[in-house]
Amino acid sequence: MIREKETTLYLGPQHPGITGNMMVKLKVQGDTVVSATTHVGYLHRAFEKLIERRNWLNAFTLLCRFCVPEPDPMELTYARAVEELDNREVPERAKYIRVIVMELARLQSFLLWYAGQAGSGGLYTMGQWSVGDRNYILDLFEDLTGGRIYHMYIWPGGVRRDLPEGWTDKVLRTMDYLEGRQKDYNQLMFDNTVFQKRAKGVGIVPKEKAVEWGLVGPPLRGTGIKSDVRIDEPYEIYDKLDFVVPTFEGGDVWARAMVRQEEFRQSISIIRQAIEKMPKGDYYNKVPNPMKWIVPKGQAWAKTESVRGEIGFYVASNGTNKPYRVHAKGAAYSHGVTILEKVLPGQNIADVSFIMNSLGVCPPEIER
Amino acid sequence: MTDLIKEQKLLENVTNPFKIKGRVIRNRRVEVFCDKETVSSVLLYAKTQLGYIHLAHMTCIDWIDENKFELVYTIWSPVEKVHLFVKTKIDRENPEMENIDRIWDQANTYEREMREMFGIEFPGLKGERDFALEDWEEIPPMRKDFDTHNYAQQTYFNRPGREDAKDVRETLVERSGTEVPDFAKKYSRER
Repeated sequence: MIREKETTLYLGPQHPGITGNMMVKLKVQGDTVVSATTHVGYLHRAFEKLIERRNWLNAFTLLCRFCVPEPDPMELTYARAVEELDNREVPERAKYIRVIVMELARLQSFLLWYAGQAGSGGLYTMGQWSVGDRNYILDLFEDLTGGRIYHMYIWPGGVRRDLPEGWTDKVLRTMDYLEGRQKDYNQLMFDNTVFQKRAKGVGIVPKEKAVEWGLVGPPLRGTGIKSDVRIDEPYEIYDKLDFVVPTFEGGDVWARAMVRQEEFRQSISIIRQAIEKMPKGDYYNKVPNPMKWIVPKGQAWAKTESVRGEIGFYVASNGTNKPYRVHAKGAAYSHGVTILEKVLPGQNIADVSFIMNSLGVCPPEIER
Repeated sequence: MTDLIKEQKLLENVTNPFKIKGRVIRNRRVEVFCDKETVSSVLLYAKTQLGYIHLAHMTCIDWIDENKFELVYTIWSPVEKVHLFVKTKIDRENPEMENIDRIWDQANTYEREMREMFGIEFPGLKGERDFALEDWEEIPPMRKDFDTHNYAQQTYFNRPGREDAKDVRETLVERSGTEVPDFAKKYSRER
């Protein structure tokens, strides 16, 4: 047997598969990865430091930029941590609106993920379709908040505005459309032999190590472990809704894709239920003077289920009008560094970005 | 109101063997305070004996008035579904903390970030010194005594024409010699 020479290959920082810049330094033999090291630092924007210089509500302009495909879970998690410190009740209607916004955010992020996952597997048409469909959800967000990507809509105490007239009908129509599109997506991606052959048996995370390694969200459910913040620690009104948390055995890219495929349907169902059950009433428990608002001393930890897994915020207040410390931890923090470094050895170079996408690596969230 | 039996039991299970203090914060939240030598034993005990196998989060808070760094380790049990916060305070001068990446591998990432952002040393920590920053020569930037404003003024320069940080409308008026349109006047900054 001829032993091939080991070569160092730098993948990134401009990256074909994921949102944002990150470099993976690969040691390869032939086209097989021997070892991988993650290098971040291309997107550090010192958000956590900047938030310490702003007041409690100004922080929102920075928070939603932590991770581009998923701004809303960041807002909600921070808002919930601040509400816990301030003992602030959220009106029932606001809770329903928050859930609808969160699930819409989940859907748009799934559609973006379809594009990345299929694209890094060579199926480019999928990306054209799903990103096109994602625009319909962004239109809904524009109607609701004025912004397409970044919304700054969820605030401590509720949401900033009530739903515009006729908005829920638009949402329902969009949901019908997206549900109808499922069969096209399946044909193009999930039932496609090319995708199946690329995805099965690739990037396996062992089930017995998954929780310990810090795997969360769909990748964790793809190993067969049923874990979701929405059922483990129900927030807002998730405990009043009827939905299934799908799991799939295998721990590979295919299992993670199947989990996401089912979750897409569940999100549509959650939105329909929330719209049906939503009560009338207040949408905002008003903060006295937003610019001079003082949050009592204390520390709080809140976590939310985002598309890629749990997002947690640790917020500390020293009893002034500015946050003393805000620390965010997203799924990518463990997925993108330690887990990726463990999963990549033994894989083909061509599968690296495929696996990164499937784990939901989002570099801006790692370094913030 | 739940009676927090699960949380009380956890608190006793953690505090009794180590003779440390703690409290139940609320439903699903328990915190314990210990000194820096005990932290790794508490974490290892919680992981192996009590089933708190998920390291959800690690953070550092710079309490500059007390001259202390507070380290918070958040761990979670998939069975009990309770968060346990293990908190400790260490000196701000020459801060050093035991690394726990032999208990959880992903702790390595948090510790590398803390080493860079707060200057806390973790003897024996694997990985390169630079995490998100490159060739950083100032004091660690997340410390409270790092002056971001001062740093920005010394490091960066204003765009030509914006040295005085003047309202952009006024600059345009000066350059073009025309009046500010009526609709824009009401937005002009009051001086």
